[in-house]
Amino acid sequence: MAISTVPDGRGPKTIGGADRKFRFEGLGLTLVMIALIAVFAAINPRFATLSNMLTVLTQASTYVIIAMGMTFVITKGGIDLSVGSILGLVTCIFFGFVDGGMNPALALVIMFALSIGIGVVNGLIIAFLAVPALIATLGAMVTLRGVALLHSEGELYYGLPESILWLGQGEILAIPVPILVAALFVALSAWLFNNTRFGVHVRAVGGNREAARLSGIRVNLIEVAVYAFIGFSVGLGGLLWITRIDGTQATLGTGMEIHIIAAVIIGGTSLFGGRGTIYGSLLGALLLTMLNNALVIAGVEFFWQLVAVGLIVVAAVTVNNIREDRIGWLSRLRGRRAAARKT
Amino acid sequence: MSQVQPRAADDAYLLATKGLSKYYGGLCALDQVSLGVKHGEILALVGDNGAGKSTLIKALSGALQPDRGEVLMEGEPILLKTPRDATERGIEAVHQSLGLVDELDVPQNVFLGRELTRSFLGIRQLDKAEMRRRTRSLLENFSIGLPTLNEPVRRLSGGQRQTIAISRLLLSEPRLLIMDEPMAALGVDEGQRVLDLVKRMRDSGLTILLISHNLEHVFMVADRIAVLKNGRLVGTVPVAEATREGVIGMITFGTA
Repeated sequence: MAISTVPDGRGPKTIGGADRKFRFEGLGLTLVMIALIAVFAAINPRFATLSNMLTVLTQASTYVIIAMGMTFVITKGGIDLSVGSILGLVTCIFFGFVDGGMNPALALVIMFALSIGIGVVNGLIIAFLAVPALIATLGAMVTLRGVALLHSEGELYYGLPESILWLGQGEILAIPVPILVAALFVALSAWLFNNTRFGVHVRAVGGNREAARLSGIRVNLIEVAVYAFIGFSVGLGGLLWITRIDGTQATLGTGMEIHIIAAVIIGGTSLFGGRGTIYGSLLGALLLTMLNNALVIAGVEFFWQLVAVGLIVVAAVTVNNIREDRIGWLSRLRGRRAAARKT
Repeated sequence: MSQVQPRAADDAYLLATKGLSKYYGGLCALDQVSLGVKHGEILALVGDNGAGKSTLIKALSGALQPDRGEVLMEGEPILLKTPRDATERGIEAVHQSLGLVDELDVPQNVFLGRELTRSFLGIRQLDKAEMRRRTRSLLENFSIGLPTLNEPVRRLSGGQRQTIAISRLLLSEPRLLIMDEPMAALGVDEGQRVLDLVKRMRDSGLTILLISHNLEHVFMVADRIAVLKNGRLVGTVPVAEATREGVIGMITFGTA
């Protein structure tokens, strides 16, 4: 149906005229990153060597991959505290199967099915039982860690077949395989997030759930899908980790949720949902790993890293809040200042 | 003043309700409402706060399910379980909250839930260029400036947001357009433009159900007026035979 809605000569042609062709939103964080690299290198030249950079990137691969999943979850307005426990559980089960003589390929399939399945269950509980994501995944975090400890009975697993260890320790053209896997996964995530209906729907549900529902988006399906996706990313990240160190135990990944959430928030994804950035999460995860690495090289005790990460998370959320003008008293203060300048 | 009693089974109506009731807990929000919208008319739905207007249009747009009664399209009973069911039958609603996602940009909001895709190497992905192009040509029909399309819509004015909400409905070429207080949040000038737009849409064959508090607006554009009070249909009057005093009486005292 052609609806003529133009009142005579009143339709301005200024629609979309002022759009910038090229936009680079992660500029600030990129500069911070470059500055940090410069500072670390100045303090200790060993930091900036190519081999150390490759080490940092290899170490970062697991966090980068799981941060991708977390970006979708947080953008959707959710949170997942259970990533570390899922990782501990599925890697122990995988190792147990391989140790028991199962074909490693089959064990891999089972591990991924399990990590995705746990994500789906998390999503179903959140979507259909209306349990807040924070509580549902906190429950999963504790429960699954318990299951992992029960399953492994304190065993330390090690000794995977060479063919699988290649995933964590091999190289292609002198580049460690985990870096390549992580890079591919980041590219896939960026494409999903920015160029597919799924990505837009995740942002829509996180930004305005009711509007998303009214426009026909299957909100519950999106809910379950993002937790399934982070489940897959935990499986992949866990696989790279255990093949890199050739071992696992039931406590592997304990406390990693705070690092992953920190990476995503430092990147600029809003904890309030609706707005997320894959590039930011990548930088956030790299930044944390770099910091970690620099502190290790400087000989700083591990416990200080916990102190640093904890403070960084709170600071990052605060910075985001300032940017999004969410702080009431600060907003009023700004308003008064602006008014004072006018007079 | 004559009162038109809608016969729900009559397919003179594009969309009609028969004995529609909705309860919120023990509270009766809609009480056996039988009402019809004729092909190509603007039917204005008026009534005080809490009269049941919003509940009725939610039931018609699939946003909630009535507890009793049916919805008929051209005389055939239809089931609207989700907003998608309504959309598929050509019923589109602009809710008072506009239903925009603040963090998404203009084309993403316009195409929300029905994004255009193209195949690249057999994989479906968003066709951003086409969505942007069609959004522009859609918005050029409105007398409103919108310099940026790829910024989050939270940065736009009330009129601009209203325009996006309406233009988004025209995209799917609906048969029935339901508008909940489209002029409420707008300035005088912007409100006038939306009224003009509503009339032009009717003139090009669209059927419109308009909810408004503003009787002045209603008398300017509507063909018939239906009055709700306390969840019941007080009556329906053609604008040509109605007086403001009569309609106010119906709204206030519930008597035709």
